[in-house]
Amino acid sequence: MRVVIADDSVLLREGLVRLLTEAGFEVVAAVGDGPGLIAAIEQHRPDVSIVDVRMPPAYRDEGLVAAIEARRRVPGTPVLVLSQYVEETYAAELLAGGEPGIGYLLKDRVADVGAFLEAVRHVASGDTVLDPEVVAQLLTRRRRDDRVGALTPREQEVLSLMAEGRSNRAIAAAMGVGDGAVEKHVTSIFGKLGIDPADSDHRRVLAVLAYLRG
Amino acid sequence: MLAATPTIGETAQRRISIRRCDIIWRLLKNTIGLPFFPRTWISFLFLILSFAIGLFWFIVLVTLISTGAGLVITLVGLPILLFTAVLWTFGARAERWRVRMMLGVDIPSPYRALPDGPWTQVLRAFLTDGAVWRDLIYLFLLFPIGLVEFVIAVTGIATTGAFLTLPIYFWALPDGVRIAERHGADIDYFWALPGGGVRISESYGPVIDTLPEALIAAAIALPALLLVLYLIRLMATGHALMAQALLGPSRDELASRVDVLSTSRSRVLDSAAQERRRIERDLHDGVQQHLTALAMDLGMAREKLESDPEAVSALVARAHDEAKSTLAELRQLVRGISPAILADRGLDAAISALAARCPVPVVVDVELSKRPPDIVEMTAYFVVAESLTNIARHSGASKARVTAWETGKRIIVEVWDNGRGDADRARGTGLQGLEDRVAGIDGRLRVDSPPGGPTSIRAELPCA
Repeated sequence: MRVVIADDSVLLREGLVRLLTEAGFEVVAAVGDGPGLIAAIEQHRPDVSIVDVRMPPAYRDEGLVAAIEARRRVPGTPVLVLSQYVEETYAAELLAGGEPGIGYLLKDRVADVGAFLEAVRHVASGDTVLDPEVVAQLLTRRRRDDRVGALTPREQEVLSLMAEGRSNRAIAAAMGVGDGAVEKHVTSIFGKLGIDPADSDHRRVLAVLAYLRG
Repeated sequence: MLAATPTIGETAQRRISIRRCDIIWRLLKNTIGLPFFPRTWISFLFLILSFAIGLFWFIVLVTLISTGAGLVITLVGLPILLFTAVLWTFGARAERWRVRMMLGVDIPSPYRALPDGPWTQVLRAFLTDGAVWRDLIYLFLLFPIGLVEFVIAVTGIATTGAFLTLPIYFWALPDGVRIAERHGADIDYFWALPGGGVRISESYGPVIDTLPEALIAAAIALPALLLVLYLIRLMATGHALMAQALLGPSRDELASRVDVLSTSRSRVLDSAAQERRRIERDLHDGVQQHLTALAMDLGMAREKLESDPEAVSALVARAHDEAKSTLAELRQLVRGISPAILADRGLDAAISALAARCPVPVVVDVELSKRPPDIVEMTAYFVVAESLTNIARHSGASKARVTAWETGKRIIVEVWDNGRGDADRARGTGLQGLEDRVAGIDGRLRVDSPPGGPTSIRAELPCA
């Protein structure tokens, strides 16, 4: 799988290259700023790009802006954005296009190598992966919502995992229950919240997020 | 060979003569130029208006105050007097504006800030404000002073102007003008100028009835006009000084304002120092301890690398966890120092992010047409952050609301909750710290939290 990495910190960039190479990915370009990222994506058409939010010159949201611009130029190119902190606003900006293949994770998550690589593969295959912290922010906001309140604790857990972008099978694995049980929970959640059950995992995430954003 | 270069003495002399020339030139320019400076004629207009405005306020104030004072016994008089007081402060505001626009003298608003509280307090603060009463003195003085200014300016300009333009009459109307004057049933015709001529004074002095004489009179009138114009400028400046003295902040008020500002500045410096101590403590107690433990675990793992692989696996796992929790802690700490989303996306997004983290549901309504200065944004953010933390911890509220909007050059941030109220700035250091921060940028913080709620915290932040 071919990967582009954009991170201005040499230490982290080299770390990511090493980590991904060891895991069998092919890093085709490692750049340090936004324009570099856009050029690399246009040139290499990678399977996935991993982008840090803060990059030169202002160290604000250059990575985010570049990622959105790159997806405008190369529609559907999967991008996983890493950030020191996650904000629901940024997630919304990334997801605004409605195209699949978006990931938004705390940079810390890299430390959980296995889960991180899993997230990279998911994004590359067109899934949406959101950091649990973003989902937690969304759920905090909706906690007093009657309909969310009507969900059983089990269902709320499933809702969080769905919002993070996990498939039924992944949810089942994470909760240690069978696929059928998850399926039942999902149907019940969609019924209680009044969301149309969607055909694909990606659409399902968008539907759940749209509901949570209210 | 003789040196052609001037000696030191000569140079100095020349410098002096240049300076003398310079002064004379400036003097000439400032006197001859008087009729050509727009400021001169604006001053003239200003003096004329002073009389009209002074007359207006004299009539209005005398009427209203005597009516009000006469009716005081029936209590109707009091609202009339109060209305009059409010009215004259508006008159004074208009005068400040007029002096600034016409004379270019900026008079800062002298009024004390009115307290947010019951109307009796507001009323007392208003009526004990010396500036309000100095406004009244100014408006009363405006009539007599304006009258004097008007008479001097108008007669001066009219007389000198008449003599100055006399040659034009003689040149354009050599036969004079026939003027009719009615005396009861009779109509007298007589010739005004040049046949009848004109006297400088009615009873004595030469009669001017020829063109050359008119030219001489005009030649004398020119410096007189310059003198009149100079007088007009002088009167306008004097008027501006009087306005500054009566309509501007008094020395005491300025001094007390400096006191307030220096107190709030030192409190801000204090709170900045406290903030640094808190950051130092957080880094020391949290991150540093975690990293030490992490290094210890890794050190032990290194020791046991060959002897006890199983223990190493456990140690590395623990080190991994420690590293992750340190990262999380560091993230929290950094967010507390300066939230990146505030710099990146502004108040609306940053407050929404705060609201999203708050366990109590918060409605956010931010309406700002443009981004305020960084320091104002920061302060507004911390007002909201601290208030929401208090709401989550102490209030027991089931809902909260954050609103931010702009009025003129100020931004108002209001945090409201339906909790049990009784928030006291003396009890928690949080509110005091907020007040210091707000005062540090010359803003005001109002906490309204009766026992039983609801609580509303309102910050007014100037953006100028």
